Amino acid sequence: MKMKRLRLMVVRSEKDRLLRELIKRGCVEFSEIGDQLREEEAQHLVTRESSALTALKSQQAELSKALSLLDKYAPKKSKLLSAPQELDGEQFLDESGIGSALRAAESITGQDERIKRINAEESRQRGIIESLQPWESLELSLDTEGTKTSTVVLGSLSARISLDQVDAALAQASEEAELFRISSDKGQNYVVLVCAREALASCQECLRTFGFTAAALSGMSGTARECIFNAKEALTDLAKEKAGCESAIVDESIHRDDLKLCYDRISTQIALAEAEELLYGTETTLVMEGWMPAEREEELAAVFERYHCAWETRDPEEDEYPQVPVQLKNNTFTNSMNMVINMYSLPAYGTVDANPLMAPFFILFYGLMMADMGYGLIMIAAALVAMAMIKPRGGSLAFCQLLLYGGISTFIMGALTGGFFGDAPYQIVHMINPNSTWQGLPYLFSPVYNSNEVLYGSMVLGLIHLITGMIVSFVQKAKAGNLADGIFEEGSIWVIFIGAVPLALGIVLGQGVAKTLGLVILVLGVLMLLFGAGRHSKGFGKITAAFGCIYNTLTGWFGDILSYSRIMALMLAGGVVAQVFNTIAAMPAQSLGAANPLAILAFILIFLIGHVLNFGLNLLGCFVHDLRLQCLEFFGKFFVDGGKPFRPLRISTRYARPKES
Amino acid sequence: MEFLNTIGGYALGLLGAGLAAALAGIGSAKGTGIAGEAGAGLISEDPSKAGKVMILQVIPGTQGLYGFVIWFLAFGKLVPDMSVAQGLQVLSACLPIALAGLLSAIAQGKVAAASINILAKKPDDWSRGMILCIVVEFYAILGLLASFLMLNSITF
Repeated sequence: MKMKRLRLMVVRSEKDRLLRELIKRGCVEFSEIGDQLREEEAQHLVTRESSALTALKSQQAELSKALSLLDKYAPKKSKLLSAPQELDGEQFLDESGIGSALRAAESITGQDERIKRINAEESRQRGIIESLQPWESLELSLDTEGTKTSTVVLGSLSARISLDQVDAALAQASEEAELFRISSDKGQNYVVLVCAREALASCQECLRTFGFTAAALSGMSGTARECIFNAKEALTDLAKEKAGCESAIVDESIHRDDLKLCYDRISTQIALAEAEELLYGTETTLVMEGWMPAEREEELAAVFERYHCAWETRDPEEDEYPQVPVQLKNNTFTNSMNMVINMYSLPAYGTVDANPLMAPFFILFYGLMMADMGYGLIMIAAALVAMAMIKPRGGSLAFCQLLLYGGISTFIMGALTGGFFGDAPYQIVHMINPNSTWQGLPYLFSPVYNSNEVLYGSMVLGLIHLITGMIVSFVQKAKAGNLADGIFEEGSIWVIFIGAVPLALGIVLGQGVAKTLGLVILVLGVLMLLFGAGRHSKGFGKITAAFGCIYNTLTGWFGDILSYSRIMALMLAGGVVAQVFNTIAAMPAQSLGAANPLAILAFILIFLIGHVLNFGLNLLGCFVHDLRLQCLEFFGKFFVDGGKPFRPLRISTRYARPKES
Repeated sequence: MEFLNTIGGYALGLLGAGLAAALAGIGSAKGTGIAGEAGAGLISEDPSKAGKVMILQVIPGTQGLYGFVIWFLAFGKLVPDMSVAQGLQVLSACLPIALAGLLSAIAQGKVAAASINILAKKPDDWSRGMILCIVVEFYAILGLLASFLMLNSITF
């Protein structure tokens, strides 16, 4: 689609109104203004506009967080396959309600913060209980330090150390010391050392050799049992408080729809703010530059008419092309190819739009690779259901369309190859009547029985595909005034092909004349190719260029054409795997009889699992390999990539969406 | 030859069929294992991605299926009194999917694990990771086809 550069000046008081008008129409992409306004002498005249972008973004993040918290604490089942709500564009520009939504969001996130603090406190209390459990039977306050003459130390020893040995050693270290066993678990013995104050050092020294560790219970008062009781009390209170916070969040879920609407409103504000930051202005006027589709110029002219503004448009210069955004002009058929082109790259501005060229091939190849009536029907049904229920737009619409056209093509190819969930009709008929002489669905060609023909057929299709690409390239070169390039690069290959046909026929039929004629044309083609390759180089470079060209052409064409054998490979693989599953599924019926309910159940189960797997794998596999044939082999012949997508200022939302005008 | 005769064609055929199922199965087990380990790490951080992780994890599982398909076809061809030559024919026909399945599934498992990284860091682009996995798949499909066409051409 042709683009035009727009330059616009507007009085400051009308800025907001104009921006709102533009965002609703969604047809202008704002960009940095031209150099002359950013030069030094202009610097003190105009300044870049500022906006509340950062604040808006943090508000958006807050709402987003609150919404995901609502989904966590008050999950709401959304209807599967439902179209998003549609609202008038004005609704998204409305700023009312944002304040109260933000307050609701803050209350939700605040409650969540509290829940987090409660969780931390809960795990602290649980830790206390865990560390006190071994001391539960000790009827001694934990902060007891002893009496005037004696002292008490709580601690633990590894369970591997015999306490009797420790007792004996302790008795040697001091006479006035005793070790009381409190409790033990798998790894530790919990003990209390009671000894005379003056003997403490020597006792501890003695125990240290056994790996005695003093218990870290500082700050506790009362007996262990009391402390545990207190901690448990605290835990119950915390649980109550947490439940309160959670129900407070659930209570806020009545605001869910408001939050969603305001999220979209803030997204719209952000889009406006981002555009605003690209404006430059004086106290009273503002200037902006951007890109717009040439075909909407009249519509915009009528809009600008109503404002106090001055504007001009111009076609982009050749050297500006890399900066010009690309918008493809699609009809409902070629729109499906957006799915493909977006995985690769948009064509550079001013080069040919590949979608209409690619669409028939892509859909044909896809059908050939899948080639099954049953799978085709599922794809068509899935696409139609999704289109009716979700009413998709943009990327998902392209996906649904691709699924629909691919499904139709798959169905047709399935009819030609006699595939319906593999050979399901044949298996079912033979399951019911083992003596049936029915040979299965009729077919025009079958990858299993005509493997060679299908293989050659795929390569011939490949040849047609590649030659189409070359014709596009030839026309492009001719249009750009490089007819000679086209003749020597594409033309010489065609001459070689033209020569190859009578040569091959002559060899096969033994016709000497055809053979000679073919050979002459072929040699002419090779000479053209050689001359073309050496045209731009000098001296010895001519020879290396010529040889390089022959080598590249030969290997390139061999590789490209052979690559199309994947059409046959995928066609065959899908069919074979389906066939094997059908055969396995029919086996119980063969031994148990078709009327046996167990056999029927086994058939249905194996059939379903097998075909879901095969279908899923082929759906993806065929897409990927078709994509490769288009992007590598086909695009290699003519496509210029590197286009920058057109991103106009428009209302782009997450939950509801603006009505289409 | 004497030695092979003592083994017999039937056993050689069984060996071939068994290798197709076993080697491709080992490959898939390893491949899905590698992807599963990476996936478990991501799920522990973000359980909502479990569905997508599972899709990536099962992709290297298809090789085992292909091996099983060839096992099934080869097993159907075996008869107890087949000759050594016939047994070797079946064995040879089973090798492409056995070897291609074994190695491609492991390689694919690594790609799937890396794609789980994409899913973790750039969730919107995870389908691109899936495409990377499917590229590896093609060579297993070629192995399957080679085995299938060879088995189909054997008649006795």
